[in-house]
Amino acid sequence: MRLSDSFETALEALMAHKLRTFLSLLGVVIGVFAVTALVSLGEIATYGIKKGLEQVAGRSVFVQPRFQPDRPPLKFREEDRKLLSALPAKVIPYVFASATARDERGKPVDLRVLGVPGDFPKLDPGIEMAEGRFFTAAELKRAAPVAVLNPLAKKRLFQRKTPLGHSLTLDFGGGAGRARVVIVGTTKPLTGLFAGLQSVQVYVPYTWLWQRVPWIRPGEFHAFELKAGPGVDLNALAKRVERLFELRYGEDRVEVQNVAVFTETLKGITLALQALLGGIGALSLLVGGIGIMNIMLVSVTERTREIGLRKALGATAGEIRTQFLIEATVLTLVGGVLGVVLAALVLYLLVAAVPFFEVFILSPKTVALALLVSALVGLFFGVWPADQAARLDPIEALRHE
Amino acid sequence: MLAELKGVSKVYRSGTGRRAVAVEALKDIDLAIEEGEFLAVMGPSGSGKSTLLHILGLLDRPSQGKYLLLGRDVTELEEAEAARTRNRTIGFVFQAFFLLPRATALKNVELPLVYRGLAKSRRRRRAEEALAAVGLADRADHLPSELSGGQKQRVAIARALAQDPAVLLADEPTGNLDTASSHEIMRLFSGLNREGRTVIVVTHEPEVAGYARRIVRMRDGRIVADETQR
Repeated sequence: MRLSDSFETALEALMAHKLRTFLSLLGVVIGVFAVTALVSLGEIATYGIKKGLEQVAGRSVFVQPRFQPDRPPLKFREEDRKLLSALPAKVIPYVFASATARDERGKPVDLRVLGVPGDFPKLDPGIEMAEGRFFTAAELKRAAPVAVLNPLAKKRLFQRKTPLGHSLTLDFGGGAGRARVVIVGTTKPLTGLFAGLQSVQVYVPYTWLWQRVPWIRPGEFHAFELKAGPGVDLNALAKRVERLFELRYGEDRVEVQNVAVFTETLKGITLALQALLGGIGALSLLVGGIGIMNIMLVSVTERTREIGLRKALGATAGEIRTQFLIEATVLTLVGGVLGVVLAALVLYLLVAAVPFFEVFILSPKTVALALLVSALVGLFFGVWPADQAARLDPIEALRHE
Repeated sequence: MLAELKGVSKVYRSGTGRRAVAVEALKDIDLAIEEGEFLAVMGPSGSGKSTLLHILGLLDRPSQGKYLLLGRDVTELEEAEAARTRNRTIGFVFQAFFLLPRATALKNVELPLVYRGLAKSRRRRRAEEALAAVGLADRADHLPSELSGGQKQRVAIARALAQDPAVLLADEPTGNLDTASSHEIMRLFSGLNREGRTVIVVTHEPEVAGYARRIVRMRDGRIVADETQR
């Protein structure tokens, strides 16, 4: 028997029971739909996460002294900043402190105090002003007692009222005493995926921290952020930074991190997520496959006399087996195509409706995988029914009522 | 010599375990059939005539003895080889016609040629010739449900003829037909036999057997009479 004839016979058999064929397909359709949709959704979500991360951290490389229990912590100085300014990136120095302030009812609120340069929003496009202004380079220079609150700090300390022009007393503890700053602005919330991760933060000029906190000496920095332009390879930049500090301080004194590291971590998480979702799809495919096996067994029983006739007319057991295997495979493959189409439709609507899902991704790899899997399901679950058909004794089969 | 059975027995076992019963359907059958014969096998039900037909048609194997088909020992053929030999040598005609209900008469006649691996155009030509030979050229595109009983059986005969078999094996071919159609079908077999086709008909109707030139009578798995009519 020719293979083309086998396919034709299989299609004729499937077309003979259109409704039943369709119904028996549903399990496979749903399974393939699940696998395709979930794998694609993973890809679409990864894209969203990546974009969200770049929004938050930009294309940045962070340098911090590495914590080493047996040595005093390394402190960066102005020379280090100069060293970095040779690289193709904007350098933002940070001074960190923590403090407590009291809200209007006198309840203490813990704050992260970030000493940053003036006109910070120009350096970090992720920061936008909600009200007021950021402190200027001139205010930095004269160590002005001015502060900018992030949305969380504003909410904790002032609820809904505008904090502009109010003063805030920061208690650094440890005998450092208290210091008052005037609030000149508040920032907008960060957009995107990581908006929820922000802590209660107050931005002040780092020069002011130098003057006010006894254990922070003038001229010291706690971290640098390097903001790279579009064309710059972040990994290469991180390597150069590492090398510079290695030459200066010796091995392993600083920690260099770039966004690519976070991206890798997130990729790992997404991969695990996709595996889980794929597993759910596989389960529905299993159920769908058993459905196919069931309908094929019914079909074999129903067509017992036909099988007997075909054998009497010269079909070998192998040819009967092949015919039913092709039938099962064509069946699940049709289910696979329907499942992929359904997945594409649902994903398209989802991307249109949910802002977080920005682009519609349905990779050819995913489609090919879905179709391959559906064909394999048919082949696998068709083996037993096909074998039942192949083994029928023609005399018995022809007597079958 | 078309077919020769030498000391053929067939034992069926029914049931399992201790209650298993062995039924001897054929007992030591010797039968020689020449090419060009028109043979009727007669006997009451349970006489073994169907078993004999199944063995002649390579659908079943003897438990003992030897079967030579066209001079070749086919007693122990493997399943696939038996299938191929059926396809090339044996044209079956069944009591219940066994036409595929969703296929046209032409497609039904083509079916054995599909398993011969013939290309579509050749298949079609041979099927058309076979349908013409049974006088149904104008019904090629009809479905079985659109044909009378006699016409259905003629399609089945055309299907067998398309194989150009060495022998036509008919199992109660008139069992589902009225008297007029029965005679029409038997006249068709007679005509085919006159053209040189070997025909073996299993029947319990004397009228049908009357068309044959040789009648083999069976009872309890044995051949009890073998007569050639003039």
